[in-house]
Amino acid sequence: MSFGEVQALADVSVDFPRGGIHAVVGQNGAGKTTFARVVAGLVRPDSGTLAINGREADLGDVSAARAAGIELVHQSFALPPSFTVAEAIEFGSGGGLGLFSRRTLLSRCRDHLRQLGMDIDPSRRIRELAIEQKQAVEIARALASRAEILILDEPTAVLPPPGIESLFGRVRRLKENGVTILLILHKTREVWAIADTITVLRDGRLIAGPVPKGTAEPDGIGRMIMGTEAVERPGKGTEAGQARGMEAATPPDADPAGPAALELRRVSTAGSEDGASLEDVSMAVMPGEIVGIAGVEGNGQVGLVKALAGLQGTSEGEIAISGRAAATLSPARRRSLGLRIIPFDRNIEGLSMTSALWENWVAGELAARPLLSPINPAKLRERCGTAIEEWGVRCDAVTQQAGSLSGGNAQKLILSREIDGTARVIVAAQPTRGLDIGASAFVRTALRDAVAEGCGILFISSDLDELFEVSDRILVMLSGRIVEELKPPYDLAAAGRAMMGGTA
Amino acid sequence: MIPRLEAILRPVAFILLVTVLCGGIFEIAGHSAFLMFNSILDGAFLGRGALEKSLRWALPLFITAVGVGISFRCGFFNIGAQGQFYMGAIFAAFAADFLLGAPAFIAVPLGILAGMAGGALWALWPGYLRLRSGTDEVITTLMGNFIAGLILVYVTSGPLKDPSGSGQQASTRILPPEFRISDSHGVSPAIIGIAAAVGLAGWLLVNRTAFGTLAGLAGRNPTMLRFQGGRIWQLGLSSFLISGALAGLAGSIELFGPSGRLASGFLPTHGFTAILVALVANFAVVATAVSALFFGGLFSAALFLPILAGLPASAIDLFNAAIALLITAEVTLGRRFRRLLGVRGGA
Repeated sequence: MSFGEVQALADVSVDFPRGGIHAVVGQNGAGKTTFARVVAGLVRPDSGTLAINGREADLGDVSAARAAGIELVHQSFALPPSFTVAEAIEFGSGGGLGLFSRRTLLSRCRDHLRQLGMDIDPSRRIRELAIEQKQAVEIARALASRAEILILDEPTAVLPPPGIESLFGRVRRLKENGVTILLILHKTREVWAIADTITVLRDGRLIAGPVPKGTAEPDGIGRMIMGTEAVERPGKGTEAGQARGMEAATPPDADPAGPAALELRRVSTAGSEDGASLEDVSMAVMPGEIVGIAGVEGNGQVGLVKALAGLQGTSEGEIAISGRAAATLSPARRRSLGLRIIPFDRNIEGLSMTSALWENWVAGELAARPLLSPINPAKLRERCGTAIEEWGVRCDAVTQQAGSLSGGNAQKLILSREIDGTARVIVAAQPTRGLDIGASAFVRTALRDAVAEGCGILFISSDLDELFEVSDRILVMLSGRIVEELKPPYDLAAAGRAMMGGTA
Repeated sequence: MIPRLEAILRPVAFILLVTVLCGGIFEIAGHSAFLMFNSILDGAFLGRGALEKSLRWALPLFITAVGVGISFRCGFFNIGAQGQFYMGAIFAAFAADFLLGAPAFIAVPLGILAGMAGGALWALWPGYLRLRSGTDEVITTLMGNFIAGLILVYVTSGPLKDPSGSGQQASTRILPPEFRISDSHGVSPAIIGIAAAVGLAGWLLVNRTAFGTLAGLAGRNPTMLRFQGGRIWQLGLSSFLISGALAGLAGSIELFGPSGRLASGFLPTHGFTAILVALVANFAVVATAVSALFFGGLFSAALFLPILAGLPASAIDLFNAAIALLITAEVTLGRRFRRLLGVRGGA
């Protein structure tokens, strides 16, 4: 296969040999997704050619690409929410118009999912699934048809470690069956675990590749991905953060007599569609401490965030924010006590994609005011502009829509809103999901800075490496309960066992 | 500023497109499009006294449309402006009847307030049902229109019936002249003043209060606003109440102004036209004034069309339908267009 030049990509020419697993790596905005879309026929390049199996293919034509055996699994999910899992897989795999009964469809789908090691009931509706399960269904959908070339756009971003392992297992099996696989990744560790060749994109240009893994070395690839720029957070006090980062494993030096930033005493919630409900959850996050919440997604993390935010009532137990009872307070009151949420889904829960940056930025502040209180939009825009500049949000104007930001910039916008002078406790739910190496590091540094200024942080993630890096201690959630507390030095095997319900 | 210019240009662009579209249809149907446009222009704006007649319809449309815009902006599709307009007129009529003999400077403001309360009440129950149990407000407000229409029939042929009435339409007694805020032409300093006050208050509310920004966010993404501590209940119910109250205000102005009495089935398309006015203006208050003037002009020209161009007055319905169609198309096409741009600009 070879490419000529395209617009968001510039002059990229690359040949992937048939068979094998080819990783395409780069930061967000490097052009990886555009690259995938060009191959899959979703984007028509301004110039250049695309050849599949040596034959030149029609550009910008999805059905032609699919007919040639190319399947793309998107980074964001495009499944119809009202469909059942089985229907979505059948619908998306483009399997003929033949008649079939619901039962055959369900059993075929169940077999398919079992083969992939995915534990999802095929009769459930897409909208009832957790974000991670949706992605799993997307992958299952693409694998359902007989793809010769399978492109996965950041497939590991939302999978828990065991899920990544089984995905990689499946990818290897497909490779043995002669399928060519393009994996768009941003974690070097994963690249090394799975890829046969590595291709690096930066700023829309081809930096290297495909380089066979045997001849590459991790540091070199890392430098190629990042370019020469150092990953530093502009403005805010990075020194404190870095100092903090170096001794992340030491216990916090906060006043032990003071109230916890956040305390839960035997909290339970009624069931909901967001996965497991909470059962008898007790924990305390002290000021100056990062407490990690580990666990496979769907084990109550969503319920925990909603219960903390005040969006889901608790049936039992006490929640205290900086020592003040908060279980019955409104979300706005909790916010005024210093609770800040960086939610799981930044495109829906975190930001209004069709609203201006400044409107997103002031929402929390305005929500705390009386409805009829006067505002001066010009001044708010100016304040927002100053704040997001300090946080390094790259944008043209504060009046542009939040949907025009890249993932990393969108998360920076959220950080600039949530980490303000009055934040006492920050609940960060998968704050680095889908972000590239640079942006992830930025988010972690920002959170460490907040800790240095006396915030307590509850860091929810299904990525154990990340939790090990940032957490002072880790609580493991399983089926809505806290089943284990881990302290450094962390043991990957023990954490994995606790997440899966084994004894540590 | 660019967005502001866009807000004004939008209704103008709509009107031009609709004109071209309808002109084509009329030509195909064998009428002279030129003659038709000429007579619409004449009847609506250029002819002697035409502007005043257009204003007579545009002013109440503007008042109702500002309210419709506020609820739509907040994400609540209150299409019950017609019913709320009727209920406003009915409440105002009862108040006026009760206050007969009182000095006008007390009776008229109280009557108007009663009208606003009536309209707000007629928006309260769909709003409550929507926020309480998620009942689709499109259905409830639409149904509310019919119920309010029937209540109007009952009131005009029952409690407030004019016993001397001999016309085909049941109606109430005409108000005493000192209660009237305009003559039957419907344009007076009082009415213009009220419309201007509504416009100013609406503009301030949308652009200069926390409510305006929060309502926009709630309309575009309520989930995000909930996470930010936004009180969707409060926002939603107030937007329902404001839109109902403004439709009720238009209804009471109609009563104290040009109509002078309640008649069953009066101004039967007012509320629906007001929704079009608001949609064309994309809920921006200044643009609503432009679009209300256009629709008021069309309405007034409809009375001239049969005389000048030999066209049925229902030709104007074609205009309205074409506009509704274009708005729907704009919403989908606009989204697609933006997505195209997004793909090019994004990652």
